[in-house]
Amino acid sequence: MSTMDDALNTFVAEGRELLEQMEESLLQIEQAPDDAGLINAIFRAAHTIKGSAGIFGIDYVVAFTHVAENVLDRVRAGNLTINSDLVALLLAVRDHLGRMLDHVAARSEPDAEIHSVSERLVEQLRNWLAAPPESAPRHEGEAAGSEVEIESRSDDYGQDAGTELWHISARFNIGILRIGLDPIAIIRYLGTFGKIERIVTLTASVPTLEAIDPEGCYLGFEFAYRSDADKATIENAFEYVAEDARIRILPPHSKLSEYKSLIDEVSGDDLRLGDILVHCGTLTQAELEEALVLQATIPVEATVPPLGEVLVQQKLVQPEVVDAALDKQKQLREKHSGEAALIRVNAEKLDQHINLIGELIIASAGINLAAARSGQPELQEAASLLNRLVEDIRDSALQLRMVQIGATFNKFQRVVRDVSKEIGKDIRLEIAGAETELDKTVVERIGDPLTHLVRNSMDHGIESAELRRARGKPGHGTLRLNAYHDSGSIVIEVADDGGGLPRDKILAKAIERGLVKPEQVLSDSEIHALIFEPGFSTAEQVNNLSGRGVGMDVVRRNIVALRGSIEIDSSEGVGTTIRIRLPLTLAIIDGFLVGVGDSSFVVPLEMVVECVELSAAEIEAAQGRNQLDLRGEVLPFIRLRDLFEIPQAAAPEIGNAQEILTQGVDDELAFLLEPVRRENVVVVDYAGRRAGLVVDMLQGEYQTVIRPLGAVFNGLQGISGFTILGSGQVALILDVPGLVRRVAAHEGLRKQLSLSEAC
Amino acid sequence: MGKSIMIVDDSASLRQVVGIALKGAGYDVTEACDGKDALGKLDGRKFHLIISDVNMPNMDGITLLKALKQLAAYKFTPVIMLTTEAGEDRKREGQAAGARAWVVKPFQPAQMLAAVSKLILP
Amino acid sequence: MAKKPTQRRLELSGEMSISTAGAIRQQLLEALSGAEIVEVDLGRVSECDTTGVQLMLAAKRQAAQAGKTLIFADHSAPVVETLDLLDLFAQLGDPVLIRSQV
Repeated sequence: MSTMDDALNTFVAEGRELLEQMEESLLQIEQAPDDAGLINAIFRAAHTIKGSAGIFGIDYVVAFTHVAENVLDRVRAGNLTINSDLVALLLAVRDHLGRMLDHVAARSEPDAEIHSVSERLVEQLRNWLAAPPESAPRHEGEAAGSEVEIESRSDDYGQDAGTELWHISARFNIGILRIGLDPIAIIRYLGTFGKIERIVTLTASVPTLEAIDPEGCYLGFEFAYRSDADKATIENAFEYVAEDARIRILPPHSKLSEYKSLIDEVSGDDLRLGDILVHCGTLTQAELEEALVLQATIPVEATVPPLGEVLVQQKLVQPEVVDAALDKQKQLREKHSGEAALIRVNAEKLDQHINLIGELIIASAGINLAAARSGQPELQEAASLLNRLVEDIRDSALQLRMVQIGATFNKFQRVVRDVSKEIGKDIRLEIAGAETELDKTVVERIGDPLTHLVRNSMDHGIESAELRRARGKPGHGTLRLNAYHDSGSIVIEVADDGGGLPRDKILAKAIERGLVKPEQVLSDSEIHALIFEPGFSTAEQVNNLSGRGVGMDVVRRNIVALRGSIEIDSSEGVGTTIRIRLPLTLAIIDGFLVGVGDSSFVVPLEMVVECVELSAAEIEAAQGRNQLDLRGEVLPFIRLRDLFEIPQAAAPEIGNAQEILTQGVDDELAFLLEPVRRENVVVVDYAGRRAGLVVDMLQGEYQTVIRPLGAVFNGLQGISGFTILGSGQVALILDVPGLVRRVAAHEGLRKQLSLSEAC
Repeated sequence: MGKSIMIVDDSASLRQVVGIALKGAGYDVTEACDGKDALGKLDGRKFHLIISDVNMPNMDGITLLKALKQLAAYKFTPVIMLTTEAGEDRKREGQAAGARAWVVKPFQPAQMLAAVSKLILP
Repeated sequence: MAKKPTQRRLELSGEMSISTAGAIRQQLLEALSGAEIVEVDLGRVSECDTTGVQLMLAAKRQAAQAGKTLIFADHSAPVVETLDLLDLFAQLGDPVLIRSQV
């Protein structure tokens, strides 16, 4: 059962989503100011937020949104044309609503700042309203639309009835039931805050069974009603039927003349109304007689004053209005027809679910291991079936966390628009691959690095219009965001058609900063990569981010923290493409389990190219060089035993792990007898760079759940997480990108470069 | 058993709050996020009342209302339309389609309960 | 020469509401056309709205016009409640067992 607190969280989440859509539409609408779908989407965002905020009683949101909604309604009605000034204002409104939602989320009261910004924005919004401003929505009871009011006679003419009862007279149009209104429901409703003292149901109009329209309404009612409620409340009971009924409400102690005119008005019914009034207890017989005498003495004008009468403003529907609205709706439907039905799931619940599946995977691996050990074919078969199913569950669960990157990309419409204005460049954003999916947690953490890269491209990549023209390029710059899947990774590209990275300037700066020795020979891509080095981009000229003082090294650190990598493709005068490569998911990886001494390590399977075995001769040949010849190619390698300082095992354990040792083993018994002498090399590839990892044992493929390293392990190089094996043993997950970089460093070219950010 | 009510609105939080209020009053509540979703959920069930927002993606409330009037089982089912004061045009359109019951957003849960009890028998 | 009048019993169940009104009218018409005395059992009526009340009144009227007798019997609680609200017991004239409130 959901609680109001849950509902409030839902409100915040959906509010934020709506604001995003609002922003997206606002950014598109400048290009298409007549797009009814966009206008409607913007309107709906404000409308929905206001509606929901109201139900929670968050008045400051309601009051603020109300004014914006009024402006948007004028746009929607075609009374106001949207232009860039209005877009800018509405963007500010959107941002302000975002801050309000922060307060709602924190359950905190808005501060004075919020209120003063609200006031300022409301002031600006009102300039767009031709009609006199209305500061807040009307309060309850003041139902808009079908206005219901009672006019009682204000003069003092005549005698009051002694009754303390209201008298209500109700007749209905024959079609009222067909529009879903039942008079009985209203009478019952009146019974919830008063008492029907006496009712006369008028049945004279009910025809025979043969003649009756079974869905028509034939009944009428006269009743005396006792209630402390005020007039407005009682009238309100009839608000829905007002248009399809004749309702007369006489308050207690009305003038006898008013009862008289009621009698005159509704005469012709089966019972004389006078008698009914007496029957109901509204009037005494004496009062009735007194009232009937009035007829002769009161002038006509005065005898038929509007009694307690429900006045309904009849609103005629103009066909062209309907048509226009239908047209609008049709366009909207077409636009949205591609949307699938979605349900919203609490991210926490989803994470919990994924965690459980992680445990399930570990448990299943344990069973598999035990089954293999038991040698029972049935058990092995069942275990492998279980394993397969668990894998399927894992895949579908991970799929649940996959979201399209489009929403993240779309945020940059705003960034590009704002920054373009700010720096006075005409830059257009192109988006491709918006439907590419990646893990939600990755999406959440990629926003900031992307923002840096985008801003950087705009600030420093794209040249001024004059320079562009001089170079024979179009005056407006183009920034391109692209995403696609590539062998187990997602690749995100930030590309510009700007001036490209100034190779020589970068090199000079790196030498000046002591990052590179003057005599070092670097390739272009190595020089480009220098901008990611810490200490490089703190200066303002080449690569600061518009005075934010945040370097590109932070960007790379963020990417690496996501087990990703970043590379640059740049050519001077033509443009720069920055390519970010990220794992599709952070939670679970397919790993390759290897052993070194008593320790187990997991290598992400997608990075494993092959496994080769080192012969004794090759080991000898490689001593001290850490390179080996792999089919004619030089392969740098790293010994995990050395890297992690694992002591030489006294005697290699011939354990279970070796039973599943299958790969890369030939039938040379000598190696089995001398396991210490045998070394295996796992060849890994990361972003086109290869390296070998020397291990003792290959233990096969292993599915594993990544657990983040605790504080104790922070700073441990070459490790990105750990997992618990089915046997209960801990295995460390190797940080392959970090290791590959480390190996590259050992090649000698970049010895001076700091690699401290590898984790 | 309480009467069945369907609440159709693209705001999940609004559905939740209305749902809490109606369930508290003993009604059986089903949620739908737009007109299309609502039509899909009618099958094989009997709802005694439908509460629908006007402005929704995929299928708006007026279109839903018109579609309901075409269905034998829902031809006469009362419908409460949720609107804002700003939606006068739509309101006229809704009235033409046979809508009479309107609740103006923003509203209090109690207002919704009152509206519901004006329309259906307990 | 008194002939024994033909009798018929009709049991209505479920809603007596606008969505069933057409069908119930038909049932009542058929019952009345085939017998002189019709007893309509309302024991299993789950709901009774304005259309239900009107059909009861219209059936009475129809029977009276044809010189037949139509009796509503065993009114279910929802029927009793509605007829009580509208104060129609006297007009319909059928004996009603008022169940004590549980």
